Amino acid sequence: MALVHKLLNGTYILRKCPKPGVASCPFLNTRFADYCSSSLEKPVAAPGKASSQRKTEGNLEGHHQREVALDITSPEDKPEVSFDKAIKEEIKDHFRRLKDDIVNHWIGPEGRPLHEVLMEQAKVVWQFRGKEDLDKWIVTSDKTIGGRSEVFLKMGRSNQSALLYGTLSSEAPQDGESGRSGYCAMISKIPTGPFERKRFYDWSQFNTLYLRVRGDGRPWMVNIREDTDVIQRKDQMYSYFMFTRGGPYWQEVKIPFSKFFFSNRGRIRDAQYQLLLDKISSIGFTLADKVDGPFFLEIDFIGVFTDPAHTEEFAYENSPELNPRLFK
Amino acid sequence: MSWAQAILLARGLSRGWGGICSTALTGAPFSQVTPQAPRGLHCSTAAHQPDSPLVPRPPEPQRGLVKALAPHEELFRQAPDGVRDKASFVQAVQNFTQYNVHKRGHVDFIYLALRKMREYGVERDLAIYNLLLDIFPKEVFRPRNIFHSIFLHYPRQQECGIAVLEQMENHGVMPNKETEFLLTQIFGRKSYPMLKFVRMKLWFTRFKNINPFPVPRDLPQDPVDLARLALRHMEPDLSARVTVYQMPLSKDSTDATDPTEPHIIGIQSPDQQAALAHHDPAHPIFVEGPFSLWLRDKCVYYHILRADLLPPEERLDLAYGRSSWDDYEFNIDEVEEGPVFAICMAGAHDQATLAKWIQGLQETNPTLARIPVVFRLSASSGELLASSSGLEEPPLTPPEGREEEENNQQRQQQSQS
Repeated sequence: MALVHKLLNGTYILRKCPKPGVASCPFLNTRFADYCSSSLEKPVAAPGKASSQRKTEGNLEGHHQREVALDITSPEDKPEVSFDKAIKEEIKDHFRRLKDDIVNHWIGPEGRPLHEVLMEQAKVVWQFRGKEDLDKWIVTSDKTIGGRSEVFLKMGRSNQSALLYGTLSSEAPQDGESGRSGYCAMISKIPTGPFERKRFYDWSQFNTLYLRVRGDGRPWMVNIREDTDVIQRKDQMYSYFMFTRGGPYWQEVKIPFSKFFFSNRGRIRDAQYQLLLDKISSIGFTLADKVDGPFFLEIDFIGVFTDPAHTEEFAYENSPELNPRLFK
Repeated sequence: MSWAQAILLARGLSRGWGGICSTALTGAPFSQVTPQAPRGLHCSTAAHQPDSPLVPRPPEPQRGLVKALAPHEELFRQAPDGVRDKASFVQAVQNFTQYNVHKRGHVDFIYLALRKMREYGVERDLAIYNLLLDIFPKEVFRPRNIFHSIFLHYPRQQECGIAVLEQMENHGVMPNKETEFLLTQIFGRKSYPMLKFVRMKLWFTRFKNINPFPVPRDLPQDPVDLARLALRHMEPDLSARVTVYQMPLSKDSTDATDPTEPHIIGIQSPDQQAALAHHDPAHPIFVEGPFSLWLRDKCVYYHILRADLLPPEERLDLAYGRSSWDDYEFNIDEVEEGPVFAICMAGAHDQATLAKWIQGLQETNPTLARIPVVFRLSASSGELLASSSGLEEPPLTPPEGREEEENNQQRQQQSQS
């Protein structure tokens, strides 16, 4: 498994010289073919999504989107260092991180003392205060399936927020199999430890997601993916809607984790399961509201906290009409 | 006749076995046959042309465009005056059922009608969807024994039923009891369209009211009313007052937004008024814009009057006392921006119109006369909105977009005199 992961992420090792990852292209294409074909499964409720988000292992999607994402290496930044030196530096960096990892394990989870972690009630998970914070996100749009939407991510005013902007176009690509199109997404990269090992977030003490955003009135969808090695579960995610108000004021969006509904390959499942917070892999924002035009979303920070007033465990119940097998 | 039927079977093979076999048995062949269209495959007993299925007739060129018309499409062109509305759509559907007692090619017709709905403006009309479902012959596609229910009984028709429901879902139309009865009559209770209907019933009712900032479905057409709605939508303070500083010319003129007299509507809350009264005239205030706001599918633009952040020593720092156990504050400094004093929406985005707004504001805020006002307008995009597309221009490609941004920055610097 680690070897397969390594092969897929082979392009990530050389940071300065990215390869397009030709070997992985057929893999990508087959996955996309599945998403676009119509099937008799249950579609997602409003706002309807044309195709589901792709989970990106490492920088695969990032390389595809190099020409549209604004966080590309500028042409002046030519790699002057030699190939070997880059590899050596990378290996040293990984060993250093491994050493930090082992040392931190003695101090406590993620290097913080245990009492601090247990007593924590509000935690900032992603903030946007510099260019390196933007590198933790990937932006995709339906350009990957042949659509016309564009999306860019850059630092906002005075380097204190991130601005996700672009144009949505619901013109369907003429590839004979997709009937609908028009989506833009911003997905967080999966956290990695030393030697690019997959890591996950553990938010089991918290029960609400907190976002400080400033939108333009469009409805967004927040998707959370769990960390899993089972390949059938790679298309499953938990989602909920984020309605922006628009206007010049910052908006605080609080979404309890109990409200996230379960969907598979972009369509709501009949059997609903609660989002378990102990192994979260990534979070993403999608815009697919079928309205053509420019959009923007400014994000200040994303955090999780415990809302003591929120006692609901899961908002959706399974009905015997839709799922008789669960009620036998 | 059996020879022609064999040809029909062969043609329909690519569409799947089950549907074809069952339709051949029930005597409703799958070809597109209409008395009006002398195109495609003829199924007449009188003279069968052996060449026609193998050599399809070329499509008639329409106005120079070589586009093959879908079967039954001429039914949608029969409106005498070309008006496309609900009545002519219903008329077209009824023409189909009249000329086609056996409903031949109803699946294709329903797909075509679904595509045409947007032109006729009826995509959110539940009665029309029920009418389309009514086209299906009843009781024919219901599974009657266990073999029917194991294998997808009449797969094309079930897919078509699902397509109707899917378009309903895309446009946010809630099905009703009539739809349920029709689906039960046509496909039976255990079919996929019925399953989709049950899911729609569940999830639509579940997510109907989750928008904390609801926008009415039918937006007002009048720009002044729309601006009023938008300003109220943006301003969280309920005690804010909306003032119309300038009405557009009366409706006798050709367009309501005359370039010489566009509408100007502003909103300001009492807190903002007080803050503006206390503002130090030494610091200038800025008119920024235009920023975009989307209301369902309409995009409107607004400008704001704001001041820059005060330097740290002049800022009030309120420290909240917290208990040692509970700490729900995030360990981060939130983005700090200067206070907003007023928001406005105008028909035009140039300095003259906004100057009129400032003059109108001066009536309620006399201190505004002494404070210098700087106009920080960008021609096509504001600082909040960094996309390169103009107000009504189509979206530009990224390389052009970057040039536009540079132009905007230059213009911004010029306007910041």
